[in-house]
Amino acid sequence: MKKFKFRADITAVTVVVFIVCIVLVSVMLMQFRTVEQTDITEIENMRESELRTALSEWKTKYEEVATQLEETNNRIEEYNQTIEDNEAASELIDEELKESNILVGKTDVYGEGIVVTLSDGNGQVEAYDLIDLVNELRYAGAEAISINEVRVLSTTDIIDMGGYTYIMVNLQRIQGPYVVKAIGDKDYMSTILNLKGSGFIDRTRTSSRINVSLTTEKRVEIPKSNNDFEIEYMREVESE
Amino acid sequence: MIFIAIILGCVIGALIGVNMPMISYSYSGYLAIAIIAALDSVFGGISATLNKNFDLKIFVTGFFGNAILSILLTYLGQKLNVDIYLAAIVVFVGRMFNNLAIIRRYYIEKFSKNKPKDDKVEGNNTEKN
Repeated sequence: MKKFKFRADITAVTVVVFIVCIVLVSVMLMQFRTVEQTDITEIENMRESELRTALSEWKTKYEEVATQLEETNNRIEEYNQTIEDNEAASELIDEELKESNILVGKTDVYGEGIVVTLSDGNGQVEAYDLIDLVNELRYAGAEAISINEVRVLSTTDIIDMGGYTYIMVNLQRIQGPYVVKAIGDKDYMSTILNLKGSGFIDRTRTSSRINVSLTTEKRVEIPKSNNDFEIEYMREVESE
Repeated sequence: MIFIAIILGCVIGALIGVNMPMISYSYSGYLAIAIIAALDSVFGGISATLNKNFDLKIFVTGFFGNAILSILLTYLGQKLNVDIYLAAIVVFVGRMFNNLAIIRRYYIEKFSKNKPKDDKVEGNNTEKN
């Protein structure tokens, strides 16, 4: 009886120890694996204190980045300012270019001015009449001049073709009547042309070789020059 | 017989533990406390065996009861924002050292003085786990 009880005791102890070993070892291994495999940097697995540290770190980083952002924004603003300045400069250059184009005769222009018509009278209209007139118009402050719709520029030649009845302006033949248009201060120009004794109209009228008529107009249209002037020989002098 | 049971149990437990799914990290704290409590019970049982006052019921209830109780206490501590698991660790580990000391003395006396079965274990206060 006693022996049997002892045996039962031993068996029970064995079974219990067996179970306890299974439970303990399996749980311990589970725990080992968990601790080993858990990535400590994952936020769900972090302890509160770790999270606090991380949070403060991120806050510092955020502040740094925010400062950097501000700096960058300031720089961008500066760049924008510069770009605007450049735009203003380029606008200015554009305007200058436009003005130059107008002066050089690359565009059609209009404005108040006068129209002088020359036609043959007792004699023929000759090239020097036109040259004279153009010079006087220039003197009177004409900004743009054309003869029979041919623009007169600084490079324009006005020549007589010997015994022929036409005149060449800019190597284009033109024939009378010659309509000379000029844009400028119309009153001043007409006054200058009409000056007694020295004005063009007065002089030609007294000689009555050719017929001259002058009209002032609110709007005179002058076409652009149609010959391209190419710079071949002259060069800009480099100046400091 | 018992040694075979221990070895077999350890092997089977290792197999189970390797093949079990991983538990989430937030629960591993509870499990760690439970393991400490169980280990404490095991060492308590060994020292009690050496003292010849081993009781199976006390051992089994201590093994599982302490583990569950420590888990519950840890949970309660987390709810109360008090680290109760520290107290559990202190108690269990302290007792483990105690029991280890008892086991050590038993074997030292057994081998050095050549007094095999003389019950001269100077257990300070043997736990009956």
